[in-house]
This record gives sequence, C-alpha cells and structure tokens, in this order.
Amino acid sequence: MLHAKIIDVSKEKIDLNKAKKFIASSKFGASIYFVGTVRDQNDNKKVTGITYDSHDALVIKSFEEIYKEAETKFKFENITVFIEHIKGYAALGDTSIIIAVGCKHRAQAYEFSRYIIEEIKKRTPIWKKEHYEEEDSKWLKGNPLVDQNQLK
Amino acid sequence: MKIKLELYGASREFSEKDYLEFNLKEKSSINDLRNEILSFIDKNFKGNSNFKKLVKTSKFCSEENNIVDDEYKITKNQKIGMIPPIGGG
Repeated sequence: MLHAKIIDVSKEKIDLNKAKKFIASSKFGASIYFVGTVRDQNDNKKVTGITYDSHDALVIKSFEEIYKEAETKFKFENITVFIEHIKGYAALGDTSIIIAVGCKHRAQAYEFSRYIIEEIKKRTPIWKKEHYEEEDSKWLKGNPLVDQNQLK
Repeated sequence: MKIKLELYGASREFSEKDYLEFNLKEKSSINDLRNEILSFIDKNFKGNSNFKKLVKTSKFCSEENNIVDDEYKITKNQKIGMIPPIGGG
C-alpha cells in the first residue's frame, strides 16, 4: 500500500505524525522513517533556505513507479509506504521529504526505504533553488532526467 | 499550433510568468520546439550560454504526463512541460 503526495507548504505543513498513522499496524515488526531536512551549508556556501519546485503529476507518477519496482525487486510481503515531498520555500531545519516504511522485519524496512530515496534522487522531477547568506540564490545543476520507459 | 511551454526549475528564469508560448507549424516535433526555445534565448537573452545548455539538456513532458523524445510529433494545441536536469529529494 502506498500513500504519495506533494505538499505545497504555502497551503499545508508536512507532518511526520501523518506518516506514523498511515503505516501503523500490528502486523509490522519494523517501521522506519527517513526525514530529509534543509542543512546550512552546501559547496562551502552558507545556505539560508531552499525553494523546491515540482512537476506534481510526474512526481506522483515517479513515486508510484519506484514503489512498484521496489515491490517487484524485493518481493517482500505486506509492506506499507508513505512518501511526501514539499514544494515551496523551506528554511533551515525544515523537512523536505518523509519516507516511512512499515513491514515485517528491520532488514526489509531499511532496504526498501533506501531504494526509494536513492531512486527519487535519480529520477523524480523536483528542483532546488538554494538561498545563500552572501550570494544570489541559485538553482542547483542536477542530473538530466532518464526516462525509465526508454530503459526497458 | 499553439504550445504553452510550462517552466520548471532553472527554466523559470526564462520568464516572469511560469510559462512561455510558441506558435509551431503542424506536425512539429519536440526537436522543433527545442529549436524554437533556443531562438527565443538568442533573441531575449543574447544567446546566454547557460540557458542554451539548459534547453539542450532538458527533457519534455506531454500533456498526458509522459516524457517524450525529440522525434515525438506534436499534433494539437497543447501544454508541454520543460523538464530541466533534476536535483530534488
């Protein structure tokens, strides 16, 4: 089971409690939460915040594809995943992404969660504009998107 | 055909709005659209090399939310998303 959503921070907050509620089940022996936050430095520059941009429909499609692929790859039974990513401005320490995984065993939870975040980094259309203390804001370079359908 | 090019990430620097509009000939391809955007950069940003590089390394997304290749034929007025190199998470 998957929950996937883009949170527009100008309208609502990203909330770890929602993830906890979504994956809560007595069938699971392991729950893992990955929380990405805005840090204060990148490439030796003092960062004051990040603006996230997103192609919402493609992002959700990408989350669904990654989840299905992970299911096929790992073949774990009975797994629940919660993924939310923000768009808009985030200050230092603010949460940008939550990935919560609930399943039977801890090794499965770690593996599934790691796979999801690494794939999101590679192919989910989200962009970051960093804001600095002493320089103009800048969009980060990123990696060209690879169409997964063309790889099949 | 009228194409509304939706801008994301660094391509938002191309306009104060979050889109650009282009008039393309019937059955133009994504490659033709890419060339139109490059001409737009030449005209409006004095051929800014960073902007042109961004156009050349971007993918494009159809109205049906599929990533389409350069040979994809645009057959109707539609919205196309410009997808620059990504870096989220």
